[in-house]
Amino acid sequence: MAQRLFHIFRNTPLGRETLLQSIYFCQQMGVLPTVYIPEATKFLMYFENDVVQVDLDPSYLNDPETALTHAEHLLKAAKMKPELFTPKNFTASTLPDIPTNFEFMCCPRSISDLSSKIGLGYIGPRVRRIIQAARFPVLITSPVYKPWQRIAVFFGGSANAVNALRLGIRVATLTNLRLDIFTQAGKNDPSKYRAIVRDAGLEKSLENILEGWTFFEKKRFEDNLYDVPHDALVVLGAYGHGIIRDIMFGSMMEKIQSTISNNLLIAGPKYTVIA
Amino acid sequence: MIRLLKKLKYPGRWSLFRSDDRLLLIVFAVIVGICSGLAALLLNRSLETMLAWLHHYRVYWWAIFLPAAGAALSSLFLEKIVNEGAGHGVPEVIYAVSRYGGLLRLRSGFSRLISSCLTIGSGGSAGPEAPVVMSGAAIGSNIAQAFSLNDRQRVALVGCGAAGAIAAIFNAPISGMVFAIEVILGEWSTMNIIPIAIAAVAGTEVSRLLKGNQIAFAHRIFDIHFHDILACVGLAVFCALASVLLTRALRAMHHLSKGVALPLWVRAAIGGSMVGAIGYLLPYVLGEGYHAIHKAIEGGFSGGLMLVTAIALLKILATSLTLGWGGSGGIFAPCLVIGAFVGLSFHRFMAAVWSSVIWVNEGCFALLGMAGLISGIMQAPLTGIFLVIEISGGYEVIVPLIVVSTISTTLCHYLEPASFYLKDLVEQGQLLRPGTDARVLTDLSIQELLETDCICVHPDMRLADFLDIVKTSHRNHFPVEDRKTRNFLGMIHLDDIRPYLFDPAMHNAVLTGQLMNRHVKSVSLHDDLSDVLKKMNDDHIFSMPVVSDNRFLGMISKATLLDQYRKELMVQTGRF
Repeated sequence: MAQRLFHIFRNTPLGRETLLQSIYFCQQMGVLPTVYIPEATKFLMYFENDVVQVDLDPSYLNDPETALTHAEHLLKAAKMKPELFTPKNFTASTLPDIPTNFEFMCCPRSISDLSSKIGLGYIGPRVRRIIQAARFPVLITSPVYKPWQRIAVFFGGSANAVNALRLGIRVATLTNLRLDIFTQAGKNDPSKYRAIVRDAGLEKSLENILEGWTFFEKKRFEDNLYDVPHDALVVLGAYGHGIIRDIMFGSMMEKIQSTISNNLLIAGPKYTVIA
Repeated sequence: MIRLLKKLKYPGRWSLFRSDDRLLLIVFAVIVGICSGLAALLLNRSLETMLAWLHHYRVYWWAIFLPAAGAALSSLFLEKIVNEGAGHGVPEVIYAVSRYGGLLRLRSGFSRLISSCLTIGSGGSAGPEAPVVMSGAAIGSNIAQAFSLNDRQRVALVGCGAAGAIAAIFNAPISGMVFAIEVILGEWSTMNIIPIAIAAVAGTEVSRLLKGNQIAFAHRIFDIHFHDILACVGLAVFCALASVLLTRALRAMHHLSKGVALPLWVRAAIGGSMVGAIGYLLPYVLGEGYHAIHKAIEGGFSGGLMLVTAIALLKILATSLTLGWGGSGGIFAPCLVIGAFVGLSFHRFMAAVWSSVIWVNEGCFALLGMAGLISGIMQAPLTGIFLVIEISGGYEVIVPLIVVSTISTTLCHYLEPASFYLKDLVEQGQLLRPGTDARVLTDLSIQELLETDCICVHPDMRLADFLDIVKTSHRNHFPVEDRKTRNFLGMIHLDDIRPYLFDPAMHNAVLTGQLMNRHVKSVSLHDDLSDVLKKMNDDHIFSMPVVSDNRFLGMISKATLLDQYRKELMVQTGRF
């Protein structure tokens, strides 16, 4: 079944890097990119129990005459059939509805703020809302096009971390890349984490793809992040812990996104694992 | 503490509500009714304050620019501050209910209250009812989202919000309830009626507690005779014509304004200044216009037939200019004003033509006109009837009310098949009431109808080998795929092999690639089912291949579609 990645094209050099990253992800995963070239700065995404209004940074509407050509050029160069998305439903005449039945979505760190504000440590409120409400994982790209050669999963033991690990296994299997697991164990016994993975029935899936499982026992978590390969796609869960998940992004997630500049594939609390 | 918060977030899991969610909905209906009632009163008070404050300045010539300033500020607020894609409000609520299980944005809970206050308070010709409906509905929706209620419960709470708001603003619980069911939900089910009725009561009580138990228009006793009821038929015709005129004028102004290449706030200001100019000459057209209705019902409106007719027509123009050019507000109050003056005009016309007949007091016709306009423009006769009964406090007008409302609704339906609120949604195919064809098809997807038991064959296969496959299959269609790339190439139907079937010499001579139909029509996984069904009907075909990214995924057939359609219809209508 053809899976799709939804990408909102920003007709700027930064947008080109983001689209290149999406194309790379699609090529690796065998996923079809669906590109939306916005005509208005607003759109709505209706999720299962939430409606998110995305107010795009005006640079998304830059030079509309060349936007289509630029997007098609990048897709054709990657030998991908350009599939452009045109909204069918509108809540108001200037407020299109974007479907939420995609398998993946690509976002830069922020889609509502000026690109000059985007940097490490900042993920915009709309991107956070999308991650919180979406059934699909969100690909947050690095600032420049950066192909990845391995998969790194951050596993903290929560139910959402198990989902993130499943996602990492899926990505590693589809891309034939090796997978590393990183856990900030602290004083906890590593066997506790191994037991969680065993109980989730993931041991067998990991057998052929697991490169190594690193347990950080000393130092602060953010200091240990230097060990994460720079060319890895980092897979992790967000909003993972109980009622706090509805308010907080997750402390581990915040530290990772503010420390490393890798591509991030984030599974939110509503992420539904595809078999 | 965290455990308690978690428990609070999912009230549907409490043992008290687990077996039957009716009690849960009743509890939330009270909360939503109170909140939406408070929102309605807040707007009402703000409008009273703003109108009283600006009243002293109306004597100056520059007051004609007040509606322009209000409409421009209102538009700027909606566009630049809250970033709301502006509309009338009610269609957006109906759209959310019919397509997205009542999901509404939190900002809609307050944005229209502020913007409509600026428009109406400054003199724009619009009503506060649609904004409070939007606000109440958004409050209901967001409370449902916060407590993780399901789609059905959320829709019920959206209805509760609308009912509570209308009930509070008019001190009219039945009207609130009927409006929510007839206009917003479009579905009469006991699951919805009970919480909506309770929310309407809660909204009314909030209003009575904070504003006192006031009836909007003082009760008068009318002595209605048979000839008055006969005359109601004529009044209904006039009301229907006025409703259609208002609907078309609003839409025409909206299209006209869209064609002007100026920012929305400038367009709103242009519309507002034109309203200000009309209002300078005829102040009755400004604002909600309830003071004019008071006079009309009391039978003390001075001026002849020409003046009252002019007021009705100019109110239509002022409302179209206000709302069509970018102001914020609803059409409820303008409809009441226009209806009252249509009623008055009709009475004066009748009194002039048949001067020997003793007609009922003209205030009665003003009331009937109000019901006729509301019923006509919304195509909701019950809302019109109950609203007028409740806001006038009199039951004796019920018979002529029914006559005017039903005839006006029927005539409007002939002239404009969809009501004002639903017109855009119907034109865009977005009105998906439960149990309708469009809704059933929207709730089904090609993925769940996919028949995957087809056997794929390759183009280099001999007919003899293909016949062996046919023997084991129970299907008539066979997709042909490229052996290497697995790309979809075409289809073979059993009819295609019939000419060669009884000629054994051909079995080893013909290849499947020669038999297949390369120009077969296919559908994609993400196509709309209504489009797929149209394609099938147009081409008289019963099944089609589903192809995505050049790969054959399965077949979709009318038989499976009908089977799933029936199941979905039964779920939506609750009839098994």
